[in-house]
Amino acid sequence: MALLTVDRVSKRFGGVFALQDVSFEVREGEIAGLIGPNGAGKTTMFNIVSGVFDPDDGTVRYGDHDLHGMRPHRRARMGIARTFQNLQLFGRMTVLENLMVPVDAASQRGMLADALRLPVARFEEHRAEERARAMLHFLGLSDVADSVAGALSVGIQRRVELARALCLRPRLLLLDEPAAGLDVRETADLAATLVRVRDRFDLTMLLVDHDMALVMRTCEHIYVLDFGRVIAEGPPEQIRQDPSVIAAYLGEAAA
Amino acid sequence: MNIAARPRRTLVGAGIAVALIIPALLSPFDQDEAALAAITAMLVVSVVVLSGYVGQISFCQFSFAAIGAFTTGALVDGQGWSFWLAMPVGVVAAAAVGVLVGIPALRLTGLLLSVLTVAVALFFDRFVLATDTLPAFSGGSLQWHPHKPSLFGVQLTGEYGFYLFTFAMFLLVVLLVWNLRSGKAGRVLRAVRDSELAAATMGLNVTAWKLAAFGLSAGIAGLAGCLLAVANESVSAGSYDFLHSVQLLAIATVWGVGVLTAAALGGAFFVYGPELLAKTPLSAKWFSLILGAVLVAQLVYSPDGIIPKVAEDIRHALHRRRGDASMPPADAPVVEVA
Repeated sequence: MALLTVDRVSKRFGGVFALQDVSFEVREGEIAGLIGPNGAGKTTMFNIVSGVFDPDDGTVRYGDHDLHGMRPHRRARMGIARTFQNLQLFGRMTVLENLMVPVDAASQRGMLADALRLPVARFEEHRAEERARAMLHFLGLSDVADSVAGALSVGIQRRVELARALCLRPRLLLLDEPAAGLDVRETADLAATLVRVRDRFDLTMLLVDHDMALVMRTCEHIYVLDFGRVIAEGPPEQIRQDPSVIAAYLGEAAA
Repeated sequence: MNIAARPRRTLVGAGIAVALIIPALLSPFDQDEAALAAITAMLVVSVVVLSGYVGQISFCQFSFAAIGAFTTGALVDGQGWSFWLAMPVGVVAAAAVGVLVGIPALRLTGLLLSVLTVAVALFFDRFVLATDTLPAFSGGSLQWHPHKPSLFGVQLTGEYGFYLFTFAMFLLVVLLVWNLRSGKAGRVLRAVRDSELAAATMGLNVTAWKLAAFGLSAGIAGLAGCLLAVANESVSAGSYDFLHSVQLLAIATVWGVGVLTAAALGGAFFVYGPELLAKTPLSAKWFSLILGAVLVAQLVYSPDGIIPKVAEDIRHALHRRRGDASMPPADAPVVEVA
């Protein structure tokens, strides 16, 4: 069953189509990939799914819900989490605090409970910290728990962003160029981590990247975007041999 | 990255002891001034909440204070209410106006937000508090003269007694804000400050939290205004004008807009600075000029403010003595200090 259905979505910026009639779906439990050269509209697609803006035409459905007009925090609470191509950690907070924020967001308690240190505040505080620490442990980040997030290397920051997104307990995880800025070994690590994360947390992933290595390694189903349109789809082996993909994309990389 | 808890507790304890003992030795006039310092410190706390924690700018904190002060004046002097009933009304009214100001501020940051809050401050100065606009609120040409309240049958009219009351209120506000800061609200507000986009995609209603911050900040400023009304036993528009708000922001920035300790020192500085200057060959008029010069110097040399800078220097000195090589470099971002 499809968890995410994108149906004939278009988005223009000042008359130029960033996305044109794009349709695809992500089935529950799979790791899907959205690839394409720079400027193909991948990040725009992510912004539409996570609610940064709505499409001009077309619909985005999450399970049975039409997401149109729903603000980002509502979508997050329904289980859609994302990471960012240009890292968006809370730079002046510690790694641990970064991970506690999505847990905080899910809590119902207001300011009064904290101001008066009511038992519920202490209890939830403790639980949020435990959940954050468990996630850091799972992703091998325990050593940097108390480091300031903005001061860490790009590779570690990407991992922290992943951990933070997972603390939301998402059903659908959107990863925007998670391999950007990583070397070959780090990329291989990341691929293994993603598969491990999917199996452990039982979630669905949509991965955007223009780096083929990670996508070919982890994704079960791939959609290829070029100039705002889907030009090919299928499993990795098929994509690798698709002539239009080679022309639009691999050709560019080879050149 | 925090000052170790024990030295900090000792420092805070020592600070409170000083704040209790020194004013007891002062003249009644200076004890009155001490009460004003405690109230001003509360206003600095309101800036810390809004600017330090959420990264919003407000040039109209004294307008929020005016709402508290004039509500107190109108209800206590005009309607004969008890101060203890008027105070919560003043706080709620100020918080409500804070939320209203926050609504247009949601779409603005930096310069435009500053301009908006300047407009609010001038709207209060020139219109709301003008003698003939709303006499039932502003007191008209006769100013309000609310009397000092009594607490559990004890009249708070003695200078030192009233100071103790304002200082206790200040400590209470600091304690509540400190608790907020170290819990969910503190994390959430700092998250919004660092990346609104990420905060929203982590499930935070950024709009609601920003409005809550405006409401909280304005509510604290309103409480300070209620106290100011009875501290002076008179309420006049001139004490709540735009320039006071500018000075307040400057002082909070100089000491460190992200830290609560800045509030206590900032309050004392605001009140006693001009007075100490008056005892030198210079006069109190020089205060604004000196404040401006200090502000420029501080923005160049330690943008986070004096207190974070000093705390950072001390921490580094301690670590160097212990030969700890694992310290982050001095230019690493500071998380929090106090």
